[in-house]
Amino acid sequence: MPYTWKSQLRAFADRLAGLFRSSKHDDFDEEVQSHFQMLVDHFVAQGMSLQDAAAAARRQFGNTTLLRENRKELRSLVSIEDFARDFRYALRSLGRSRAFAAVAIATLALGIGASTAIFSVIDNVLLEPFPYKDAKRMVFPRIHDVSRGEEGDRQGYTSNEFLEFAAQNQVFDGLTGALEDLVLYKHGDGVDLLYGADVTPGTFEFFGMPALHGRVLQSADYEPGAPPVFVLRYKTWIERFNGDKGLLNKTFLFNGTARTLVGIMPPRFGWYDADVFIPQKPVASAATVGLPVQWFLLGRLRPGISKTQAAADLTVIANHLANISPRDYPAHFQMSLNPLGDTVVGHFESTLYTILAAVALLLLIGCANVANLMLARATSREQEFALRAALGAGSARLVRLLLVESLVLAIGGAALGLFVAWGGLKLIVAAMPQNFIPAESVIELNAPVLIFSLIVAILTAMLFGLAPALQAARRDLNHPIRESGKGLVGGRRSGRMRDTFVVIEVAVSLTLLIGAGLLMRSFVALREVRLGIQADHVFQTQLVLPDGRYKTSAQVSGFFEPLLTRVKALPGVVDAAESSSLPPDGAVDSTMEISGKARDGEWHTLLQQVSEGYFRVLAIPLQQGRTFTQAEVSAARKVAVVNEKFVSTYFRGADPVGQRVKLSVLETFGDPVRDPWFDIIGVVPDIANQGLQGMVSPEVWVPYTVTGSGAQALLVRTQQTPMSLMNEVRRAVSATDPDVPLAFPIALEERIGQRLYAGPRFAFVLMAIFGCLGLILVTIGVYSVLAYATTRKTHEIGIRMALGADRANVLRLVVKTGLRLVTAGIAIGLLASLLLGRVVQSELSRGVKPYDPTTLAVTTILLIATGALACWIPARRATRVDPMVALRYE
Amino acid sequence: MSDPKKSEVLQGTLDLMILKTLHALGPQHGFGIARRIEQISRDVLQLNEGTVYTSLTRLLQQKWIAAEWGTSDNNRKAKFYSITASGEKQLTLETENWQRISDVVGRVLRLKEEK
Repeated sequence: MPYTWKSQLRAFADRLAGLFRSSKHDDFDEEVQSHFQMLVDHFVAQGMSLQDAAAAARRQFGNTTLLRENRKELRSLVSIEDFARDFRYALRSLGRSRAFAAVAIATLALGIGASTAIFSVIDNVLLEPFPYKDAKRMVFPRIHDVSRGEEGDRQGYTSNEFLEFAAQNQVFDGLTGALEDLVLYKHGDGVDLLYGADVTPGTFEFFGMPALHGRVLQSADYEPGAPPVFVLRYKTWIERFNGDKGLLNKTFLFNGTARTLVGIMPPRFGWYDADVFIPQKPVASAATVGLPVQWFLLGRLRPGISKTQAAADLTVIANHLANISPRDYPAHFQMSLNPLGDTVVGHFESTLYTILAAVALLLLIGCANVANLMLARATSREQEFALRAALGAGSARLVRLLLVESLVLAIGGAALGLFVAWGGLKLIVAAMPQNFIPAESVIELNAPVLIFSLIVAILTAMLFGLAPALQAARRDLNHPIRESGKGLVGGRRSGRMRDTFVVIEVAVSLTLLIGAGLLMRSFVALREVRLGIQADHVFQTQLVLPDGRYKTSAQVSGFFEPLLTRVKALPGVVDAAESSSLPPDGAVDSTMEISGKARDGEWHTLLQQVSEGYFRVLAIPLQQGRTFTQAEVSAARKVAVVNEKFVSTYFRGADPVGQRVKLSVLETFGDPVRDPWFDIIGVVPDIANQGLQGMVSPEVWVPYTVTGSGAQALLVRTQQTPMSLMNEVRRAVSATDPDVPLAFPIALEERIGQRLYAGPRFAFVLMAIFGCLGLILVTIGVYSVLAYATTRKTHEIGIRMALGADRANVLRLVVKTGLRLVTAGIAIGLLASLLLGRVVQSELSRGVKPYDPTTLAVTTILLIATGALACWIPARRATRVDPMVALRYE
Repeated sequence: MSDPKKSEVLQGTLDLMILKTLHALGPQHGFGIARRIEQISRDVLQLNEGTVYTSLTRLLQQKWIAAEWGTSDNNRKAKFYSITASGEKQLTLETENWQRISDVVGRVLRLKEEK
């Protein structure tokens, strides 16, 4: 009666239930006993003596022990005893071939360790980075202009908008706002800048984290007339204040207000990446005067509410708001929601997944290697298997035995791999670009990671163990007897399987190498990208002017004019300039008009306010017309310089000099510019203004003196190392206004490197390491297969040489066999890489194609060279065979 | 095969015979089943009676039969097996199968050699 898969499943369910069945409750023995008695009765009734009847009954009934075993096997999964026996046997058998076990475990440790390390990064940075309550449901809303890309999104909200969203929404069970608040902290030794965040009432309840020392902000702190207080971040407490607990309840002078430190947060609290948290209640105001307050909102979705549902709900509220103040909203927009993790990780996410894929490939190569070793070992164990089979071991039994061996190897590999992961993780964390990971995340080996590596170990055991196991189980009993003569044919089938593994290994390794090569090219290309500026020998710093005393353009230029004069006079300074933003980012976005030109839709340009020295300091050449004169800047003349992109976009290449442009955003500044029409006086080439990789946008420069608003930065071109001038610049600033600190001083080149190369460099370095490891594994793989095959062929080679083949002939024979496999692998690998090109595309910088011919050629040659080396060593050994020895070899 | 008259019972065949026995005779204990098969096969089939229990375990696993303790004719405690509804279905299905196969095999074996 054939058993279908359905009935197999039923049987399996029963076996599974057997795990929970106690053997004590089994009445089988009783039943057998009863049957036996009936048989005896039966024979006695036929006239036998009781003794004869019992003997006959035993004969008739058969072997009860075997029966009980059969029944047990039918009703249970692998029994514990069996498994323990297989396990002990596997240990013994691996102990006998220590070299094999060591190589296999080391190979697996490398693969499992590397993937564990990368997975811990992914788990801690992408999957579970935040220690907050229900962080998975935390989202931040953006106003998305349907007619533009993501760069047109707005994520800063006015107090009115915040209050409206908080009151009207049906989708959040909590909504909180944070507002950038640069804090000038005045102390005995001068002024320091702290990055502060104003936070709305209920923020700390929202995150659900208590303070480490002291208390978090409470609703009483938000009441009018409440004493000013603040909460400090752990990292800042340690780094700036040496972790001094005595600071609690002390008073600090922040932006001229005395504030009391009431609490210090635990290490993983890093909301808004702020140093200090200051209570502020958003207050509705009738009219917006000056620059609108820009709250960053973070909401927690109600359980069961999807992002799409929530976005729809918020869009309704936003439409209502847009009706009230249409100027603040694009013509066509919708609300979109991004998860909290997007605030930091962004592009780094795909980088990490690319690296995880690379590690998986490395693990695959490792598995192929171990599988090959096991196949070779299985061939030399044929006699053992034949003996076992002859003694009654079923093929299922043999497969299980070999799989347990694989499992022992994999678990050994995983155990060792944890050490590899532990060490690797330290290196990775050191190499990781800090700005790209959430401040809250702590990268460590934790329980999910350990479970991951255990699962990987079991999967790898299946992967590399199954093929050799099935191979071993499939052979017929006569086979090894024929084989024992070490004939010429040499185990065709297992040979073919070994060849397949080598081909796969070479193919995977090539894919890995090409990936690494492309990332390297991309990294090099990044370094060669023309920023349009000369970034070396430039010192930069931001200068945060105390709000109260610097409101009008006259006040602001009253600070910068003398400062620039002072700095320019410093020895070693070539030139200095003021700017509202730092390259390669291009300041604020403005809608605009050009006089005498009809607009179709909205026109946008980036706007930057600079002093006359700006173009000289960054060595930006002039293309057409002229740049600002000192007189124009001092007089705050409404003149403008534009970039080439601006000309090609809005003038279609016609001469823009003498045309007039209206920069509407200036009307909305805290110190607004009335009637902001500017005369275009010059054109400069395109300069990176959307980051290093972004396309250049149209940009306009105007004298910084036209308004008192806008973040201020100082750029200094130096003769010597830029940072060596820091203290002198600090003194110059302090001499101009002792209340102004240097914020984020750094060499421009260094900053560009940190911000823009760090991610790609990280990806490329890791890929290069994995690529090299892959190459080493492949070399070992090709070598071991060929060395093994050559040894098996010693006899054949002996005959060939005895018949007159010379050494070159033999060398060619062996190398050809090996290179055939390598070539096949390369062909497949190239094909796979072309297909996978799209995956890696997102990681590549502009100008590097996923089928970059140089990379393909170099990696292919590298692999062929390595392959040839791996072939050559066993081939050399083959030519040294003494025909006489070979023929007697047995 | 030393004794061509006594065939070894194929595993699945025994399962089928037991199902049929339970179908024809109603609830039976293992001893009864063994006797019945012995009678029917007129001692052609050589059967270690214990093997019946392996079959019974398999059939129980599939829920094609059910088991219950009871008392035998001569007052011994014994487990009685009875066929279930799904067992009846399986029996019909398998009987048809068996007939078809044995017909085909029979026809093939009866073929005269064609020259």
